[in-house]
Amino acid sequence: MPLEQAVGLATDIAILSLLALSAYLVLLVGRISFGQQAYFALGAYASGMASTLAGWALAPSLLLGAAVGAVASGLLAWPTLRLSGLNYAVATLALAEMMRIALMRLHFIREVDGYTVGPQGAEGFRDIRWLLENDVSPGAFLLLCLAVLAAALLVLAWLRPRRLGLALRQVGHDEVLAASQGLPVLRLQLLAVAAAGALAALGGGLYAHRATYIEPALFDPMLGVHAVGYALIGGLGTALGPLLGVMFDIGLLEATKVFAGWRMVVFGGLVALFLRFRPRGLLDEATVHRIGAAWRHFRRTS
Amino acid sequence: MLEFLQRTLDGWLEGSAYALVGLGLTLTFGTLRRLNLAYGATAMLAAYVGAWLYARQGLPAWGVALVVVGLAALIGLYVERLCFGAIGSGGSTQGHEGRGSATRVGGGFDGTEVVALASSFALWMQLEQLAVNLLPRHLNAFPDLAARTEWGFFGLYLRPDRLAVAALALLITLALTRWLMHTRGGLAWRAAATQRTAAGLVGIRVGQVQATAFLVACALSGVAAFAVLSLEGQITPMLGMWMLTKGLVAAMLGGLGSVRGVLLGGWLLGIVEAHAQAAFGAVGREFATYALLFLVLVASPAGRSGLLGRGGLRHAA
Amino acid sequence: MLQIEGLATAYGKIEALKGVDLSVQGGQVTCLLGPNGAGKTTLMMTVAGILKPKAGSIRFEGEELVGKSSADIVARGLALVPENRLVFPALTVRENLQAGAFRRRDRNAIRDDIDRMFVRFPRLKERVDQMAGTLSGGEQQMLAVARALMSRPRLLLMDEPSVGLAPLVVAEIFQIIRQLHSEGVSIFLVEQNAHMALKVAQQFYLMEQGRVTFSGTPGEMSSDDVIQRAYLGQRRAA
Repeated sequence: MPLEQAVGLATDIAILSLLALSAYLVLLVGRISFGQQAYFALGAYASGMASTLAGWALAPSLLLGAAVGAVASGLLAWPTLRLSGLNYAVATLALAEMMRIALMRLHFIREVDGYTVGPQGAEGFRDIRWLLENDVSPGAFLLLCLAVLAAALLVLAWLRPRRLGLALRQVGHDEVLAASQGLPVLRLQLLAVAAAGALAALGGGLYAHRATYIEPALFDPMLGVHAVGYALIGGLGTALGPLLGVMFDIGLLEATKVFAGWRMVVFGGLVALFLRFRPRGLLDEATVHRIGAAWRHFRRTS
Repeated sequence: MLEFLQRTLDGWLEGSAYALVGLGLTLTFGTLRRLNLAYGATAMLAAYVGAWLYARQGLPAWGVALVVVGLAALIGLYVERLCFGAIGSGGSTQGHEGRGSATRVGGGFDGTEVVALASSFALWMQLEQLAVNLLPRHLNAFPDLAARTEWGFFGLYLRPDRLAVAALALLITLALTRWLMHTRGGLAWRAAATQRTAAGLVGIRVGQVQATAFLVACALSGVAAFAVLSLEGQITPMLGMWMLTKGLVAAMLGGLGSVRGVLLGGWLLGIVEAHAQAAFGAVGREFATYALLFLVLVASPAGRSGLLGRGGLRHAA
Repeated sequence: MLQIEGLATAYGKIEALKGVDLSVQGGQVTCLLGPNGAGKTTLMMTVAGILKPKAGSIRFEGEELVGKSSADIVARGLALVPENRLVFPALTVRENLQAGAFRRRDRNAIRDDIDRMFVRFPRLKERVDQMAGTLSGGEQQMLAVARALMSRPRLLLMDEPSVGLAPLVVAEIFQIIRQLHSEGVSIFLVEQNAHMALKVAQQFYLMEQGRVTFSGTPGEMSSDDVIQRAYLGQRRAA
C-alpha cells in the first residue's frame, strides 16, 4: 500500500476511533446511544465555522467544537437519562435526527478573503481549508489525530482504577445497586454522556478539516450505530476495545480490499457469529482481568 | 376544512402502511423482549429477490408476494438462529444464574439484550448489502398493483389500493390480538415473553414458541414490504432503513410490544406527518416525525411509554 | 415415588450438586432443609427439567426423568412452585392459572379446576382479572401454588414457599400444605423455616454443600444439633 494511502487510512481509523470511544463511554455507564453522530456533526460544524469564518487556529477551533458537543450532550441528557434503556436509545436516535435535519437549515455565509464560505444547509459546508492554508501535511495531521486519541485513552486509563472510574463502571453494571450504595447515578451518567459528546465532537472537528467538506447527510444514524457496534465488538473491558472494533472493520477489511463489494456481507456475518460465541466482545472485562493478572504475575516472577 | 380532512385522510392511509410495517417489529419485542435491528433488511432482501425474479424470470405478482413473505420468514430463521435463539431472549430468568433482571429496574441493560442488538445490527449490514448487490441499480421495478382510479365521496378522495392496505393492517392487528389474547398458543407466547423459567415449568416449550413468534414477525415484514412496494411499483435501497425507522417510530408511539399500539401509533404518525408536510414542507415533516417520537418518549410517565404502553408489565397485545 | 441417585449438576465449573441421593414417598410431605447455597434450588430446578444434570438419575414412579424436557416432566405429573414464585407478571390471575394447565387439553375440566382454585384461595378470586405482577407477595405465592396445582400433579415440588412473607401469610401457606397432604397430594418441600416444616413433614433430609448429609423423621430432626446445622451450616461448639 502506498504511504499516502496508509496515512489516510490511519487518520480515518483514528478519527472513527474517537467516535467509537464516545459510544463506549455511554455504554460504560449502562446506556446505549444511537445518537453520537449528532455530536460528531456539531463538532464538525462548530470547529469548521470557527476556523473558516472566524479565522481561529485549529486547536481552539477543535476545542470549541468539543465544548459545543459537551454542552449539547449534557443539556439533552437532562430529559433523556430518566428513560429506560431501550427508550433512551431510541430517544438519542430521535434527537440526533432532529439535529441533523436542523443542520439542513443552517445557512451562515460570509465573505472571507474573497471566498464565500460557510454552511449552506443541505448543500453542505465547503472549503474548510485551514490545513491546506497552513501547509499541514497529511503526516503531521495524522500525528495530531493520534495525539488527540492518545490523550483520550490516557485520561481514561488514568481514571480507570480511581474512584471516578470505578464508580462509572459500577453504575454501568447495575444502576439500582449503585444507587443503593449511595452513588449519584444520574450525575455520573451525565458526566459520562457529556464527555462522550466532547469526544465525538473532537472527532467531528478533525474530520471536517480533513475532508474539507461536510454535509448533514453524512451524519446519519448508520454512523452512530456503527460506532456502537465497534465498541461492542471490541469489548467494553477497556478503552482499547472500540479501537479494536474500528481497526477490524476499517483496517482489516477495507484496507485489504479483499472483499470489494461484499465487505459488509463478510463483516456482518463475522460479527454476528463472533458475538454468538463471545458475547462480551474481544476485550471483555473477564479477559482484561486475566491479562492484567498474567501481567502482574509475569512482573512478579521476573 | 375540506383540505384539512383530506390531509388527515391521506395521513391516516399512509399511517396504516406504517402500522403494517411496524407490526412485525412490535410483535418481536412483545414476545422476545428484543429489538430486531435486522427487521427492515430482512424484508428488503426478500423483496429484492422478489424483484429480481419479477424482472429476470417474469414471475407474476402473486408469485412475487409468496416469495417475499416466505423468504422473509426463511431469512428470519437465519437471523433468529444467529442473534436471538442461541443468545437467549429477554424476560427474567431465575437468579441462580447470577444475572436475573430482578434488580434492573430503570436503566441498566441485561447483557444479552445489548449483544442481540449488536448482532442484529451486524446482520442488518450483511443482508442489506446482499440485497443491493443483487440489483445494483438504484431504482428497480417491482410488480405494480397501484390503482388507476380514485374514489370520491363527499368531496374527499381516496385510492382503493391504499384503503386495501389500511384494511390489511387492521385485519392483521385484529387477528394477532385475537391470537394473543384468546388462544392457548397466544397465551404461551405472552407467558414466555416475560417469565421464561416459569413458562418452562408449566410445560411451554419456550425455544419453539419464541422461534415461531419471530418467524411470524418476519413473515409480516414481508407482507408489509410487498404491500408498500406494490403500490409504488418500484424498489430502492432505502427500503431497509425506511422500514426499520417508520416501523420503530410507529411501534414506539403506540408502546413497543403492543400490537394494538402500533396500529394507533402508525395512524398518529401518518396524520401528524401529513399536516407537518403541509405546514413546514418535506424537511419539517421529517423533523416532526422525530420530534413526535421524542415527545412521546419523554412525556410518558416513568416506566410506561407510548399510547398503550403498560410499563414493564406490557403484554404483546 | 421419586428416587434420586447420584445427581450432579454444575454451573460451568461450579459444582452445585455433588451426588445427591434421596427418595420421596408417595402420600407424604418430604422436607429438604439446608443453609443458603447448599444447592436446594438447583436440585428442584434439575428435577423439574429446567437444569440438566451432568450425572445421576431421577426416577419418578419408575420412569427416568433425566434427559426429558420440562414440558414432558409436567406432563408426567410433577409440578414445581419455584423459589420467588415467578408468576407471569403480565398475565392476569386467571391467565396464570390457565397457563398452569397448559399441558392439559380437557377444557371443561380446566374451567372447573379454576373455580375450585378460587374456592381454595378466595383472595385470588377477588383479583381474578388483575395482572399478577401487581399482587402482593403472599397473593403471588398463593397464585404460584394454584398454578402448579392446575396441572393436577401427582407430586408437588415447592421451593421455599414461605420466604419473604409475613408470619400470618406463612401460617396460611403451611395450612394449605397440610390441606393438600390430607387430600392425598404428595409434596416435596424445600424450606428454611425448619420450625414450621417440623409440623407438616413426615420425612426430612438435610442438604449441605451439594450433598445430602442427614435423613430422618421429625423426632430425629428435633435434636438441636441438626437444626443448628440446617440454619447455620456449622456445628455448635461441643
